[in-house]
Amino acid sequence: MNLDELLYWLGVIVVSAPTVMVVLLGAVSLLSGKFSERAIGRIVQICVIVGLLSSLLILGLMLTNDRRHVAVNLGNLVHLHGSQFDQGYHFAIKFIFDRLSVPFAILSFLLCGVIGAFATRYMHREQGFNRFFTLYAIFVLGMIVTSLAGTIETLFVGWELVGLSSALLVAFFHERSAPVRNGLRVWIVYRISDAALLTASVVMHHMTGFGDFDKMMGIESWPDQTPIINPHQALIVGSLLLVSAAGKSALVPFSGWLPRAMEGPTPSSAVFYGALSVHLGAFLLLRTSPLLDSSPLLSAIVVVLGLLTAIFAAVAGRVQTDIKSALSFASLTQVGIITAEIGLGLRYIPLIHILGHACLRTLQFVRAPTLLHDYRLMENALGERISARPAGEKLFSERVRVWSYRFALERGYLDALLVKFIVTPLLGTLRFCDRCERRWTDFLAGGQSRESESRELQTSPVEELI
Amino acid sequence: MSLAVADPLAKKDSYESAPQSESSSAAEIEAIIHAAGELLPTVGPITAFVFLNTLQGLEHLPFDEGVKQGERLFGCNPYLPESEYRERFEQGRIMRDDIIAAIRADLMGLGEAPIAGLTNRYELRLAMLEYPLRVGPAEELRWFVAETDALTKIRKEAPLAMAEKLLEETRHWVMRDLLSQHWSERTSLGATPPPRYDFSDLLTHFDSKSIERWSRSTWETFALQALWRVCRNEVQALPHAECKKSHLIRHRDLLQIAVGEDSDALVHELLIRYCAAFCDQGFAGWELPYRELGFYQSFLTVYGRHFGPPDAWLHGLSDELSRLKKANIGPVESIAESLRLLGVPQDEWKDYLTASLLSLRGWAGLLLHMEVRHDRVPLPVSPGTQLEFIAVKLILDRFAVAYVARQEMDYTGPLDRLREAAQERIVKPLNGVEQRAFLIFQLAQVLGWSPDRLLGLSANDWATLLSEVEIFDSLARRRILHRAFEGNYRTQALNAFAIHTQRKSARVHRPKYQAVFCLDTREESFRRHFEEVEPQAETFGAAGFFGVPMYYKGASDAYFSTLCPIVVMPKHWVVEEVVYSLSESHKRRAKTRRVLGSAQQQVHLRSRSIASGALLTASLGVLASIPLVARVLFPRLTARIRKTASQFVEAPPITRLRLERIAPNPSPEDDGIGFSLDEMANIGERMLRDIGLTTSFARLVIFFGHGSYCLNNPHKSAYDCGACSGGMGGPNARALAMILNDPRVRKILLERGIEIPETTRFIGGLHNTCNDSITFLDLDLVPLSHFRDIENVQDVLQQVCARNAHERCRRFQSAPLTLSFQEAHRHVEGRSEDLAQTRPEFGNASNAVCFVGRRERVRDLYLDRRCFMHSYDPLTDTPECMILGRILGAVVPVCEGINLQYFFSRIDSPGWGCGTKLPHNVTSLLGVMDGHASDLRAGLPWQGVEIHEPVRLLMIFETTPAAILGIMAANATVGRIISNGWVQLVLLDPHSNKLSIYDEGKFVPFEPTQQQLPTVPTSLDWYRGWRKHLGFAEIDIHQAASAARQGAVRS
Repeated sequence: MNLDELLYWLGVIVVSAPTVMVVLLGAVSLLSGKFSERAIGRIVQICVIVGLLSSLLILGLMLTNDRRHVAVNLGNLVHLHGSQFDQGYHFAIKFIFDRLSVPFAILSFLLCGVIGAFATRYMHREQGFNRFFTLYAIFVLGMIVTSLAGTIETLFVGWELVGLSSALLVAFFHERSAPVRNGLRVWIVYRISDAALLTASVVMHHMTGFGDFDKMMGIESWPDQTPIINPHQALIVGSLLLVSAAGKSALVPFSGWLPRAMEGPTPSSAVFYGALSVHLGAFLLLRTSPLLDSSPLLSAIVVVLGLLTAIFAAVAGRVQTDIKSALSFASLTQVGIITAEIGLGLRYIPLIHILGHACLRTLQFVRAPTLLHDYRLMENALGERISARPAGEKLFSERVRVWSYRFALERGYLDALLVKFIVTPLLGTLRFCDRCERRWTDFLAGGQSRESESRELQTSPVEELI
Repeated sequence: MSLAVADPLAKKDSYESAPQSESSSAAEIEAIIHAAGELLPTVGPITAFVFLNTLQGLEHLPFDEGVKQGERLFGCNPYLPESEYRERFEQGRIMRDDIIAAIRADLMGLGEAPIAGLTNRYELRLAMLEYPLRVGPAEELRWFVAETDALTKIRKEAPLAMAEKLLEETRHWVMRDLLSQHWSERTSLGATPPPRYDFSDLLTHFDSKSIERWSRSTWETFALQALWRVCRNEVQALPHAECKKSHLIRHRDLLQIAVGEDSDALVHELLIRYCAAFCDQGFAGWELPYRELGFYQSFLTVYGRHFGPPDAWLHGLSDELSRLKKANIGPVESIAESLRLLGVPQDEWKDYLTASLLSLRGWAGLLLHMEVRHDRVPLPVSPGTQLEFIAVKLILDRFAVAYVARQEMDYTGPLDRLREAAQERIVKPLNGVEQRAFLIFQLAQVLGWSPDRLLGLSANDWATLLSEVEIFDSLARRRILHRAFEGNYRTQALNAFAIHTQRKSARVHRPKYQAVFCLDTREESFRRHFEEVEPQAETFGAAGFFGVPMYYKGASDAYFSTLCPIVVMPKHWVVEEVVYSLSESHKRRAKTRRVLGSAQQQVHLRSRSIASGALLTASLGVLASIPLVARVLFPRLTARIRKTASQFVEAPPITRLRLERIAPNPSPEDDGIGFSLDEMANIGERMLRDIGLTTSFARLVIFFGHGSYCLNNPHKSAYDCGACSGGMGGPNARALAMILNDPRVRKILLERGIEIPETTRFIGGLHNTCNDSITFLDLDLVPLSHFRDIENVQDVLQQVCARNAHERCRRFQSAPLTLSFQEAHRHVEGRSEDLAQTRPEFGNASNAVCFVGRRERVRDLYLDRRCFMHSYDPLTDTPECMILGRILGAVVPVCEGINLQYFFSRIDSPGWGCGTKLPHNVTSLLGVMDGHASDLRAGLPWQGVEIHEPVRLLMIFETTPAAILGIMAANATVGRIISNGWVQLVLLDPHSNKLSIYDEGKFVPFEPTQQQLPTVPTSLDWYRGWRKHLGFAEIDIHQAASAARQGAVRS
C-alpha cells in the first residue's frame, strides 16, 4: 500500500468513525430499542478514539512526508458534463486534510472525547441518556464533516448536522418551557445562517460550476491560495459567508442566542457552544480566507464586526452574575477577536487562538458548578473577600455609567432590536400575505376555507392536580 | 403613543383622586406582605444549605390540610402520583391490609352506611384504591372506549367472582326482562313494564335468536355494552358537574388560560436579571449602580433613564418610573397604586399579593433571607426589600399584561377590566359526561354491578353514587395511599423495635473506646460497623455541633463561618492559630498562597477580558487540555498529585484553637474570641448529661464531627452537617474535646457530680462521609500513655471505614455488587474526586426514623442508614425530664426539617425541590438557576433524593406520655410539629418493650404483628447483594441460627 492509499483509507476512517457512531445509536433509537448506559459509553469511546488516532496518524504522515494537502474524494453526488456553452456542474463529496482541517479535526475529537467520557458519568440515570448521546454523535459527525469538508456542499451537510443537534441539545430538558423557547431561538438564528451558506453555495456553483474549495481557491494549499474568482464576485460570496459565520459564531447582531443556549446539561453547553461550535463561523472564514484576501472591503467589514463583537461581549460580560452567562460572553469576546484577526489577514494566529481558547474554555465550563468552591479557596488564599467595583468609576460621568450598566445588563438590547426591526416587520408581511391568501381561498371555497383554525385548543384538565 | 388607552399611564387621573385612608391601607399591605413572606421557601446562600420544612409557613395547620394549602398556593403535588403508590403496592411495599387500615382510620367508623343500596363507603373506597382507575380528558376516554377492548373484555383486574356475578345477573336480566320485551310485539306476553332504554338494537346485533348458544365472550361484550350505555345515559340525565371555582386571581393566570401567552415570561426575564444583579455577592465585575438606595429606588434610577430597552412591552416604562421618582412615591404607595390600576379590590389584596410574591418565590425568598438573616451573607440587603420587590414586580406586571392583552386579544381597555375580559374568553371545559360515566363503568366491573341493578337506581341514587365517587378524588385517594405507605413502614419498624427491645440491655462493661457521632442517619451504619468490629466500643449520638455554637475561622480561612444549627445565632467566635514555633513558616506559606491565589484570580478574571484574554488563550490555552484530560479521565490520580503539591503551601499542621476568652464580652476581635471558663464547663457538662455519659468513661472518648468533600457540586453543603448549617463539624468536636480535657473544667464538673478519670482523654475528629475517611485533630497533644490506644483505634477505624463504604456502595448503581471492602473504599474515594459525579453520596436520603434513647436498647439492630439517633438516658434525667426537653427542643425541629426537606423534594422534584442538577447554573455566588435564567431553585436536587422514600419521620422516644406531653406544652415549636402531625410520634417505655403511638392527643398501645426478626451474624450477611431498601434484622454473631434466615423477607 503506498502512501496515497494509506492516507486515503485513514481519511475514510476519520470520517466513518463518527458516522458509525451515529448509525449505531441512531438506528437503535429509531427501532425503539435502547443500549445500556455502559454500551453507549463504550461505543462513544471506541469511535472517538479510532477517529482521534487516525487523524493523529494522518498528521504524523503528512509531517514526515511533507504533504500539505491530501484530498479524499468519495465521488460526485451529481455530475453534469460541460459543453461548449457552459462549464458543467458537479456536487462532490470530498474531504481535505490540510493545515487548517487536521488541527481542527483533532481538536474536535479530543474535546468531544473528553466530554463524552465526562457525560457518561454526569448523565448517569438521567431520563434522556440515550437521546443525549444520539445528539452528541450527530454533533461529532457534524463537526468532523465541517472541519474536513473539501467542497462547500459537504461543508453545508456538516453545518446542518451541527445546527440540528445543537438546537435539540439546548432544548434537552423539554419538559420545561424555557429550554424549548431558547432552543427554538437558537434554531432560528441557525436557519438564517444556513440560508446564507446555502445561497453562497448556489452563487458559487452559479459562478464556477463547482463548490470545491481547492479548485476555487487555486491549486496551492491553505493558506497560500489565490481565488480564481474576481474581487467583485468574492465580495458577494464573501458577504453571504460572513452572514452565515456571524449567525453560527454569535457575532453582532446575532449574539443574543449564545447565553440563552446554556439551557442544556453542563457538558453539552461546555463543548458545544462554549468551545467548539461557536468557533465554526471563524473556521468558515478561515477556510474561505482567500476570498478575504482578494477583497479589502470584505476584510474591513470582518475586522469591524469582530471588534464590535469583542467590545460588546466584554462590556456585557462585566455585569453577568451567573457563571454560564459570564463564560459565554467571555467566549464571545475571544471569538470576536479571532474574527478580527482573520480580517486582518492573519492565518496561523487565529488558528492557534481557536485551539487554545477552545481547550481553556472547555475546562472552565466543565468546572463551572464548582465555582463556589473555587471562590472560597481563592478568598482564603487572598485573605479577603472578592468584591465588585462600580462600572468604570473614574473614567465616565454618572450618566454614562448608569446607561452603560443597563446596556450591558440588557445585553446591548440586541435581541429586542432584532425583534423590533426585523422580526416584527417580517411577521407583519407574512401575516399580510396570509390574510390575502385566506381571502382568496375563502372566495374560491365560497365560505370558510380553513376549518382547522376554528377548532378550540384542547384544554381539559390534567388528572394530577384536580 | 397610539395605544394610549391600554397604557398604564392612562390611569393617571384616577391616581390623583386618591382614596381616603392612605395610611391604613399602607399598614394592611405591609401586614399582608409580611405574612406572605412566611410562605416563601427559605433560600439562604447555597454554601450553607438550610434544612427546614418546605412548608414551614403552614406548620400551624394539620399536615394534610397544610399540604393541601401548599398545593393551592404553590401549584405543586402534595403527594406522589397515584401510579407511584401503585408501583409500591405491586412491589409489596404497601399491602392490602395497610390500605384497609388507612381507609378505616380515615372514615372513623362512618364507612358502613349503604350507598344507593349497592355498596357502602368503605367498600367503594377500597375498590377505588385497589384497582387503578383510568381517568383523563373526555377525548382520551372516548378514544379508549372506541379503540381498545374496554367494551369487549371485563377489566383484567376485576376479581373472578365479581366478573361471574356481573355476567350471571346480566344473563338473568336479559332472559327474564329484555328478551320478552324484545319479542313482546310478536308474542302475547306483554306484561313486563316498559324498559327505560331500548336494548333491542344490541340484541339484534348479537343475534338474539341464538341467544342460548351465546359464548361467554359474547355475553361479556353484551354485558359491557349494556353497562356502558346505562352508565352514560344515566349520568347524562343528571345535572352537570359543578365546575370547580378556580382560584386563579392574577391577570397573568387568566390571560395565560385565555390566550396561551405567559406575561410572567416577559416580567421574569427582566426581573431575574435585576434580582441577580442586586443580590450579587461580588461575582460580576461591575456592581449595580445605586444598590445602596435599595431594590426599589435603584430600579427606578437605573431603568428610569431614557434610551432604555427597546422591547415593545416596556414601551413607556422609563416615563412611568421617572414619574414615580419625581412624585416621590414610595414602594408601599406604589403597590397600592398598582393594585388600584389593576382593579384589585381590597378584599382580594391578600390573595393577589401572595400569588404575585409566590410567582417568583425563589428570588423573593432569597431577598427575604438576606434581609432577615443579614449575619449569613457578606452583602446583606436593607429591611423592607421584600416589599420593594413586590412593588417593582407589580409595576412590570402592569406593563406585561397590558402588552399581552393588546397583542393577543386586541384589548385596549383599562387594566382593571382586563380580568373580566379574559374570563369571557376562557373556554369552559366540557361537562365531562364521559369522564364521570367511565368512573362508574369501571367500578361496576370490579364490584359486580350488573346493568340491571344500575337500571334500578333512582336519579337520586345516581346522584349519591356519583358524589360519593367524586368526593374521593385523586387528592383524597393519594392521601389514603400515602397513609397506607407510611403505615406499612411504621408497622415494620415498630415490630422491629418491640422485638429487639425485649432483650436485656446494659451499657458496655469497661468500654475500650467511646465515640460520639452526629445524630445523622449516615452515622448509623458507621456506628454499627464500629461496634461489630470492636464489640468493646461504645457509641453515642448527639447533634453534630456538639453544643458548641460558634463563628469559626480556620488558620487559612479568610473569614468566619457559622457552625451551629440555622435556628441558633451564635454569640461566640473561635479562631484556629498556628503554634508559635511554626509561625514563621505559617507567614511564609500564607504569602505563597496569596501569590498563588492572586495568580489564580487573575487567570479567572483575565481569561474573560479582551486583551489579556486573547494573550492568555492564544499562548497558554492549549495547555489547559492537560488538566482537562487528567481530571476527567483520571480523577483519583489527579487528586493525589494535587494533594501532594498543596502540602507545601497549606497552613502548617500543628495548630491550636483559641478557645478561652480574655475580655468579659465575646466579640470577633482579639481578646473577645473564645468562651469563658464557666461557659466551657457548662458546654461540657451539658453535652455529657445529654448523651448520658456521666459514668464509666473509657480511656479514649472521641467526638466525630462530619462533613463531605466532593467536587463540582453547588449543593455540597447539603451533604455536610445539617446541625452546623452546612459546615464541617470538625472544629466543634475539636473544641469540645479541648474543653473536656481542660483540668479546670474537669474540676468544675467534679463539683457538679461528673467524675472524669485522670486516664480519660478526649479527642476531636472528622468523619468525611463522602470518601469515608477519618481525620483526628490535635493528635500532637495526646500524652505518651495513650499512644497505643490511638494506634489501635485507628486500625479499627480503618476497617470500619472500608466496611461502611462497602455498605454504602450497595446503593450506587455504578458500583458493582461484588466489590470487596477495599475496592469499595477506593470506589467512594474516586467518587469524591470526580468532576463528573452527580451523586458523590446520598446524604440523608431514605431517612425515616428518629430514635432518642439509650443506644444499648437498639444496638445490633440493622436500621439500614435510615435512622437519626440521639443518645439519651431516661434513667438519669430529672423527674420533670429537663434533659429530654432540651434535647427535643433541637432534635424535633432539626430532624423534622431534614426529613420534610427530603420528603417534599422527592414528592415533586421540579416543584418543591430543584429538579435535576444537570442544567444548574450558579448565580450571584448565592444559589442556582435552571439553565440560562430561571427562578432561584430551592430544595434538593433529584440526584440527591432519587432513592428517598417520602414518609414522615417516625420519632421514637424512650420516655413516658406524661413527660412528652409536658414538653409539648412547654415548647411551642415541638408541640406544634407533633400535634399537627408533621412527624409521627411513638414512645418506647423505658422499662419494657411496650410502644405507644401518639394519635391526636392520645397514646394508643402498639400490638406487634410479628414475633421474631431475622438474625444474621454480621451486617454484611444482611445487606450483601441487595440494592433496594432493606428491612430490619438483628445482628448476633453467636445466635445467628440459619433457620431464622430461611424465608426471611428482606424488604
